[in-house]
Amino acid sequence: MTEILTDSLQAVFAILIFPGGLFVLALGLFLKGVDRKVLARLQRRVGPPLYQPVLDLIKLATKETLIPNTANEGAFRLAPVLGLTGMLVTAALMPIGGVWSGVSGLGDLLVLLYLLPIPAMGLMLAGGSSSSPYGALGFSREMCMMFAYEMPLIASFLAVAVRVGGSDGTGGSLLSLPAIMDYQFQHGPLLFDPVMLPAALALILFIPGTMGHGLFDIPEAESEVLEGPLLEYSGPLLAVFHLMSAVKLVVVLELGVALLCPNPLVATGGGGVLVNLLWHICKCLVLLMVSVTCFRAATGRLRLDQGFSFFVKYTSPLALVSLGLAFLLR
Amino acid sequence: MLQLLCKLASRSPWIYRINAGSCNGCDVEMATTALIPRYDVERLGCKYCGSPRHADVVLISGPLTLRVRDKVLRVYNEIPHPKVTVAVGVCPVSGGCFRDGYTVGADIDHYIPLDVIVPGCPPRPQAIMEGILKAVEVWRARLEESVCCHS
Repeated sequence: MTEILTDSLQAVFAILIFPGGLFVLALGLFLKGVDRKVLARLQRRVGPPLYQPVLDLIKLATKETLIPNTANEGAFRLAPVLGLTGMLVTAALMPIGGVWSGVSGLGDLLVLLYLLPIPAMGLMLAGGSSSSPYGALGFSREMCMMFAYEMPLIASFLAVAVRVGGSDGTGGSLLSLPAIMDYQFQHGPLLFDPVMLPAALALILFIPGTMGHGLFDIPEAESEVLEGPLLEYSGPLLAVFHLMSAVKLVVVLELGVALLCPNPLVATGGGGVLVNLLWHICKCLVLLMVSVTCFRAATGRLRLDQGFSFFVKYTSPLALVSLGLAFLLR
Repeated sequence: MLQLLCKLASRSPWIYRINAGSCNGCDVEMATTALIPRYDVERLGCKYCGSPRHADVVLISGPLTLRVRDKVLRVYNEIPHPKVTVAVGVCPVSGGCFRDGYTVGADIDHYIPLDVIVPGCPPRPQAIMEGILKAVEVWRARLEESVCCHS
């Protein structure tokens, strides 16, 4: 009985404070600020201060909330909250090397596959319920892109699972995140495993795809569909969407770090946890620079069909190559 | 405390442009010189938004032609309070060189309250940016008013 109680308390703590909840919100806003600042410096601008995302949130909280009278009000209000809560729960599942190995029983890679599309679902609900033609366009674009970027994600998850599961000689596959971390602590990061290199590349391309940056800024293209699903949102509800996107950024970066290079810098114990946490944030920053900031500074938007076929033609085969190799070398 | 919040909030003005029948001269100044990398308004926290619902500062250019008048008013009413309006160029205040044209009705300030006017045909980029800064001050006062009234 007490075990169940402590387990559920631990889960609540994980979702509300660390590594989900407050921690992930703060980290997400920080990463967003770094992203905007570095992007500005890459374009030889001064750029906004690092805490600009926080200022934006404060500003949005002071604004009026307008709801179109043709919109479905319930769904319109539910959409941002749904996306944010979904992402906070997902953030609680994310292990941090040397600091946190995830709540046992909360979930593994399969659960992640179901949780990761929740923000996209929230955006689709938002676009659909807002009764705006641009919202509907954003809805269809978001859905198309989701089908496109889920494929390489599933394939690279499978590649990782088969690679890790094959190591113990039984030839099975492992979907548990702590086990994948343990494998990398013993055998070195998967990022430096030649078999997994294509899948790593696919995962790095998945991040801007799901965040909608650079080439894949298709669902919320502000000069084409006027920010699509977010068009009709104003004030606090828009702020919740911004929080959702910040948390989602952290979740996909942490996912990349956990699957590719979760190794801690020093042994756990004493001040080691803090050092490892900082080390983890550094890795997130590096991944952010590679797959979001530099990517969107260097590329422009594709058309929807081009974006879709990019994932089908180039990214999915990369992940499938890894999957095939991992399967053969089991 | 509330004043501090207003001060922080006013450092994130999001900009929305309305073209009310402009000849495109002011729009070129806004889009390609003043509000894009060279003069970098993002360092003031500004962001371009595609949707009027996200906007705080509205930039209006051009004389209000009869054909777009109702649409401009409709878009203006979509912008949530508190908001400020900046007229860019001489056209919004006087009609400029179009003032006697058969397509131009009354001046914009008969329909929309203008807070800051940036004259010029077209105005210099520096002038537009100064106009935005002045608009932000007006907006901050309005924010303090609305936040203090609510509480």
